[in-house]
Amino acid sequence: MSFNATEVFEIPIGIGNITVENLLYFTVIIIIGLTVAKVVSTNVRRALSDRLPKNERELLTKLVYYLILVWAIVIALPQLKFDLSGLLVAGGIAGLVIGFASQSVVSNLVSGLFLMFEHPIKIGDNINVADVSGSVEDIRVLSTVVKMYDGIYVRIPNETVFTSNITNYVHNAARRFEYQIGIRYQDDANEAIRITKDVIETHPFALKSPAPSVFVDNLGDNSVNRTAYIWAPARNWWDVRTDLLWRIKQELEANGIEIPFPQRTVWFADGLEVKNRAAEKKE
Amino acid sequence: MMFGRYKGIFHREDGDILVETERNGGLLTYRRRCKGQTFERLLVSETGEIVINPVEPISLPKEITKFLQIEFTPMILEPGASQTVYLKFPVEIGVFLEAARDIDVLDVFGLGTQKYTLYGSPTGGVVARWYRSAVYTEAPPVECLSEGVMELSIHNASHEWVEISCAVFDSTDMKIYYGDFVATTATMKVISVTLAETDFIDAPLRPGMVKSIELHAARKIPVINRGYLMEWGFS
Repeated sequence: MSFNATEVFEIPIGIGNITVENLLYFTVIIIIGLTVAKVVSTNVRRALSDRLPKNERELLTKLVYYLILVWAIVIALPQLKFDLSGLLVAGGIAGLVIGFASQSVVSNLVSGLFLMFEHPIKIGDNINVADVSGSVEDIRVLSTVVKMYDGIYVRIPNETVFTSNITNYVHNAARRFEYQIGIRYQDDANEAIRITKDVIETHPFALKSPAPSVFVDNLGDNSVNRTAYIWAPARNWWDVRTDLLWRIKQELEANGIEIPFPQRTVWFADGLEVKNRAAEKKE
Repeated sequence: MMFGRYKGIFHREDGDILVETERNGGLLTYRRRCKGQTFERLLVSETGEIVINPVEPISLPKEITKFLQIEFTPMILEPGASQTVYLKFPVEIGVFLEAARDIDVLDVFGLGTQKYTLYGSPTGGVVARWYRSAVYTEAPPVECLSEGVMELSIHNASHEWVEISCAVFDSTDMKIYYGDFVATTATMKVISVTLAETDFIDAPLRPGMVKSIELHAARKIPVINRGYLMEWGFS
């Protein structure tokens, strides 16, 4: 009695025309699909480990995993004599409906992905986007969370972030700020400039280079106005700005140079007569 | 000399600096006074040691960078020239808590003044701790608590005359040794008129010097010693 192994594959399993061969093909395709899904999702997780927060990374990983699995099932199903044409039509219509419904979601998702790869902002950066100023708390797949300077939580859709002008105050290593400091006309402007430069020099975070610049900018109504340009590390500039201004004011005053109040010289056409009413009554 | 290892109660005073511990019941109080400021911590430790040693000058007044730029008297090197010079560099004082299985930073303080600068452009450059030094042909005398001696071996590997007046280092590569004075050894290789490579050598300047515990090691920050590529020139 001879045994033909190929005949085993052609034995029907009892459900429609499905044979052992069909069942084997189906199983192999699903196993390959599962393996590919596992390998790809593991690599996606690894690649995104420093780009995305854990929850979103896991979400994307699962999405990739199930997409590959569905793709394997779609390829494998014809082996079980399953007609996919009906499913495709239904899927097409469902896809159209879902597509229209989730237009903004997809737009935000794509914008989020672009934001993650372009890196115009990072978590912790001080930014201004869509008239919202604050520090970036989180960059998610669909939205960016900004904590405003007064502690208010703002969620901005990624599409808005991506299509708006983004001002990132700390993207560069250093930034410049300026003061306008007025002194009286009788004060020595050169001495005031020297004192101001000395104070700036003593501050650790007022950068040595680019060097600060202090100069007489204009002759104002009430004061000789000096401008000071100072560079500071971008992440510390606000502390330097608030700290230095008071030190400059104190040092100028300690050296007899004052910042004048607004003043107006008034000339009277007929002179100014001062009357002493008390003396008039006595007379 | 203030640097060293201490166990239990100790008292060290050097000029404006006081570092001491005192036992109060089961607690140990660590106290440091420097430039009129006092820092205190309560320690619960039976076997731990306190280590005081010079550390990389990047923590004061607060840590904003890991780079150190030393500006010095300009030197012009002919193509292929090599020269070893000595510079002064700033140091801060680190206090570490060391147990059998762990080490941690307790305190960082210093006597010197700090100044920071921008090396490179605002868009692509880096903020660096700035220090000015003269150029010495022999190790100069230094104030141990605020500065150290850097032996810098410069090599002009380019085919042109170059002028050098500053060197920028990544302080995480810095290896500081102390003994009678604080020292480190560094190299600077000029690659072209705008490009140079700096690095530190893990070797004591004099035999018998003790290696300092590094801040990034105590903070468990993994670093790869790659040196620093000065892309923005050196004069």
